[in-house]
Amino acid sequence: MKVLTPTVLTYVKVVLLVAVVPAIIGFIIVLAERRLMGFMQVRLGPNRVGPKGLLQGVADLVKLVTKEDITPARAERAVYFLAPVLSVIPALTALAVIPFGPAIRIGKVKTPLWVTDVNIGLLFLLAITSIGVYGIILGGWASNNKYSLLGGLRSAAQLVSYEVPMGLALVSVLLMTRSLSMVEIVQRQERLHLWFVFPGLLAFFLYFVSGVAETNRNPFDLPEAESELVSGFNTEYSGIKFAFFFLGEYAAMIVISCVAVTVFLGGWLPPFPHVAAFKFLGVIPPFGWFLIKTGLFLFCYIWFRSTFPRYRFDQLMALGWKWMIPIALANIVIVALAILATPGRSNGLFVLSYVFGALFILMFLLAKLRQKLTRRERLAAVPASASETS
Amino acid sequence: MALKKWLDKLALLDLFDGLGVTGRHLFKKKLTIQYPEQKKLPSDRFRGMFRLDEERCIKCTLCAIECPINIIYIDWHNEKNPEGKSVKVLDRFDVDLKRCMFCQLCEEACPTNPKSIWLTTKTYEMAAYDRNDSLYLDIRKLTDWRAAPNVKPFTVVEQG
Amino acid sequence: MSDDRPLTEAEKAQAAKAAEDLKAAALAAAESVPVSVHPPTLFEVQEMELNFGPQHPSTHGVLRLVIRVDGERILETKPDVGYLHRGTEKLFETETYPMGIPHTDRLDYVAAATNNHAYCLTIEKLLGVEIPRRAQLIRIILDELQRLSSHLVWLGTSGIDLGAVTPFWYAFREREQILDFFEEYCGARLTLNCMRIGGLPFDLTPGWVERLIEFVDDLPSRIDDYEQLLTENRIWKKRTVGVGVISGEECIEWGVTGPVLRGSGVEWDLRRAQPYECYEELDFAIPTRVNGDTYDRYIVRVQEMRQSARIIKQCIDRLEPGEIRGKVPRVIKPPVEETYASIESPKGELGFYCVSNGTNRPYRMHVRPPSFINLQALPRLAKGHLVSDLVALIGTIDIVLGEVDR
Repeated sequence: MKVLTPTVLTYVKVVLLVAVVPAIIGFIIVLAERRLMGFMQVRLGPNRVGPKGLLQGVADLVKLVTKEDITPARAERAVYFLAPVLSVIPALTALAVIPFGPAIRIGKVKTPLWVTDVNIGLLFLLAITSIGVYGIILGGWASNNKYSLLGGLRSAAQLVSYEVPMGLALVSVLLMTRSLSMVEIVQRQERLHLWFVFPGLLAFFLYFVSGVAETNRNPFDLPEAESELVSGFNTEYSGIKFAFFFLGEYAAMIVISCVAVTVFLGGWLPPFPHVAAFKFLGVIPPFGWFLIKTGLFLFCYIWFRSTFPRYRFDQLMALGWKWMIPIALANIVIVALAILATPGRSNGLFVLSYVFGALFILMFLLAKLRQKLTRRERLAAVPASASETS
Repeated sequence: MALKKWLDKLALLDLFDGLGVTGRHLFKKKLTIQYPEQKKLPSDRFRGMFRLDEERCIKCTLCAIECPINIIYIDWHNEKNPEGKSVKVLDRFDVDLKRCMFCQLCEEACPTNPKSIWLTTKTYEMAAYDRNDSLYLDIRKLTDWRAAPNVKPFTVVEQG
Repeated sequence: MSDDRPLTEAEKAQAAKAAEDLKAAALAAAESVPVSVHPPTLFEVQEMELNFGPQHPSTHGVLRLVIRVDGERILETKPDVGYLHRGTEKLFETETYPMGIPHTDRLDYVAAATNNHAYCLTIEKLLGVEIPRRAQLIRIILDELQRLSSHLVWLGTSGIDLGAVTPFWYAFREREQILDFFEEYCGARLTLNCMRIGGLPFDLTPGWVERLIEFVDDLPSRIDDYEQLLTENRIWKKRTVGVGVISGEECIEWGVTGPVLRGSGVEWDLRRAQPYECYEELDFAIPTRVNGDTYDRYIVRVQEMRQSARIIKQCIDRLEPGEIRGKVPRVIKPPVEETYASIESPKGELGFYCVSNGTNRPYRMHVRPPSFINLQALPRLAKGHLVSDLVALIGTIDIVLGEVDR
């Protein structure tokens, strides 16, 4: 149709992929987090609003929108207003460069499922998510509350510290793809028949843990935990401003999951696309595969939240600086060596995947074996007169 | 041994174990009892709402004496019944439900058999919007719950 | 000087100046920096005095702590208690001995049976009453069930304070079953009123013992679940190892008892040292650890839960039909004497000191609350730690404000 020029199509895709899809996923996450956490805690989550609780996100939204919008007396009004906005917009903008799927055709219109494919995609993503830190610092400062300020500064320090291992982990993937463009990354995984999670297993762990720290989620959520004295940067916010902070956190979670899927898990590719036995997997469209994989990461976020205690702030920072950065640097060296070992071909990467995979599985099995063998001697707190437990 | 402990730490075994526990519970039966569609069945000795049987009561006021909070107010006077004997007649038997702690000492003190005042009624839904009217039980409300609209007698629904 | 003549001009000016001075002083005080004597330089951190509570999600009740911090390090902690004071000890003086039992439920409201037990033991000691064996065994069963229940609450809330939200729900799933046992036995779940002077009010219902055996057999695998989530977890260890270290001698100096004492290396448990009821015939271990930090206290309590399960099994094996209440006069009037009896409650040594004057009301009934005395050690534990650790420390000494304030 003549009206669907490429420009109009881009605008339509912007609205859909940057606004509608995150909104829908946001509603789903709000419900899924509470329901899934409930299930893991042997209870039902919210199931009253709508069938099986499906309208919970709508109820939350309506509640937050109709709350009183308070501004503290001596807060900096302009900055106070701007901070939540600065928290949400970068996260949503980052979705513009993420490829959700290959070209699709609806009627006579053929268009790829991404808004744009900048050839510095990864760099753009890292830069844009860094702007989100401003929202937190300004939010904490503009509230005119010394506890919010401290909470905001702590949160900002945490975010800035964990961007380094995140970036370094992605650098090691860059060595494998030789391109910053997100679409090119997925296509190279397709050409190599290898998802980068295998040679980049270490990078994958580092990236995901940094991602959890970047979004202030458990086990790194000390700056916003309720049982701590310093209550966090979003104390003085209520109503729609708080909803924006909330939404910004979930949007950042979605962005990090999408990037992990694209860079490590092969984006929209189904598993084993070239093996005849798995052709039936093609019944799910590529966009569906992307969503399934992203859902897996979001489930991991929720899983972590309901399992782990939280790190104290100094321990958190020590973990980031003293452990993750050296490991990330070592990882880059290892991947570089693997690639140099087989110049021009990609066998080095395969060998690396096998090595990493074998090492990890072996370590895990050995540790499990040791655990089973030492079961009786562990936790020897009771004197010898009573060594059995029941 | 140090090497083996190091192995545990490297393989993140403790973290995966923890994830395993929560993951397993994801598929277990959930224990929520969805009130008010489902209710738990109180036990036979459950201490709930009061009931009084005026005929059995011998007006000994032992329950009022034993109450640790003194919330039972009993007034009686002597009257001559048709045979000429002097019997006690209750003027007032009030229980101030606001302050009751449902300790059952009044029921234990009651000397009649079966007891004239008892709490083992399995009824616990007595919420009211006003304190002084609904939560102060006089003899009418104690003997016949229909006079106390905020008391909902326990009925067995789908058990949780 | 109260004469009513109008003020002269000089006096008016003087009054105006005094008012101005006062206003200036007030303004200066309001804007001056608290505590510090001189204005801070660029690298100097000021000390702040902060209020932790009484309304706070983690203080386990209405506890107010005034803490003096230097940046994030705690210099001094002053507990300010009394927000839950209800005059329980005075109430005991106005009521007869049997009427006091429901009030003891509300002292340590998480573990009501042990409170009832200590109170009844004191009065039985005054009266010289002998309790029948079946009543003794059932009392031990109720006590140990209550110990399990209290430790489960501690486990859940301790976990939540440090960020682990799921052990709470698992612990309360077990606790729900224990409360069901209590409800079936005495009619209430929390404020039990389940013991009387001389024995017990009721005998066990049919089927109670069988269900209890099932529950106790299931329990070790559930405790294994909690341990899998927390005990070896590196984050949990980082938060608890080395936090709040107190040595055994200091514990004894402060009068701290219970799992805190046993976590610091002193193997003192009233059930072994001064046995009451029939604890001397039962075989159980006293978990003791040597480091005296929060992790050790955690391990001690978890092991105590396992030992409680053992004790309950042994008591059930020894149950025989019999009397459940000893010979007690109808009106309880102990001789003019004073006595002290104590038991090992989940929080520590819970004792009642009773002075009787021959009437049916005590002259003085004093409670030795373990939580109150353990709370004294909190400033000592918290010195030098970070504010984030304070939450862990309040959880580890396991206080219940009902007992602290009475």
